[in-house]
Amino acid sequence: MTAHAPDMATLSAYLDGELGISERRQLDAHLATCRPCALQLAALQALAADFAKLPQENLGFDLAGVIEGRLAVAPRPRGKPRTARWWGLLPVSLGAAASIALGVGMGSALFGGAAVTPRVTAMSVFDTLPPGGLCLGAESCYGKGARK
Amino acid sequence: MTTRTDDAEDERLAAQAQTGDRQAFTLLVRRYQERVFRFILRMSGARDEAMDLTQETFMKAYQALPAWRPEARFGTWLFQIARNVTLDLLRRRRTVEFIPLDTGLPDGAALDPQDAAPLPEEQLADKQRIQLLERALCELPVEQREILLLRELENMSYADIAAMLNIEAGTVKSRLARARVAVLAHYRHHAGEK
Repeated sequence: MTAHAPDMATLSAYLDGELGISERRQLDAHLATCRPCALQLAALQALAADFAKLPQENLGFDLAGVIEGRLAVAPRPRGKPRTARWWGLLPVSLGAAASIALGVGMGSALFGGAAVTPRVTAMSVFDTLPPGGLCLGAESCYGKGARK
Repeated sequence: MTTRTDDAEDERLAAQAQTGDRQAFTLLVRRYQERVFRFILRMSGARDEAMDLTQETFMKAYQALPAWRPEARFGTWLFQIARNVTLDLLRRRRTVEFIPLDTGLPDGAALDPQDAAPLPEEQLADKQRIQLLERALCELPVEQREILLLRELENMSYADIAAMLNIEAGTVKSRLARARVAVLAHYRHHAGEK
């Protein structure tokens, strides 16, 4: 076999048992004859063994008890409100459109289609007489001509 | 490593917790507290922060429980939350990408006086390799560190890792290989090999 750089991704997946059966058999046969690949696989296996020897740090207390206490005062979780989709609004918009159309139709039927202008009542905001009907002065109530 | 029985029990407890059974959720916490803590500790390198984040992970999981669906393995879903809270911390620290090697050994990894006592050669070599591995883990980019921890310590399958990190299974394969090569290079560097 010609010299080659070991395919680390394949060797790594082989180590993890993540290769398909045929690929695994092929690599088994290759490893039996290729020293560089066999050495790399051995290095990966040693690394996995080192991971298994890493010190197991512990919390040192029962967190579940703490969480239990916190849950007792925490609000009960609620599901997220469903986000409204456009088709979800369809019945509402159709109903609104129908109501408007009905209103316009009824209005047209009542007034025979003629536009009716509402009568505008002129409003007198300020009267000449102050509240209570008191005269501002004799001259405003009685004209000069009236006094005789 | 989780088994099918463990998964079924997780699923049962999570479904009960979803109905408001706090006791069921407490049991889930008890099942996962040490593993989640170790993962966060290895990711963050700080014990006190890891303890806080472990607690935060479970509180967030409780609040998010209505969104959990049995199609997602509970453990994978929980580790996803743990990963997110840890990444938030690392972003706040601005150390997501790199922790300089010269900052020394991670907490708890320093040699204690007992280490000075003579040990059989093989045992000493083992201890040195473990220390090198701990240093290498601190030095690795976060994306390589997390994938190594999930595979080597949590024994997650490529499919679970892919689901958790939201990447393709092919990416898991290549990223994991790169991470392993990086650690091996670290070993060789410190052993004076080229």
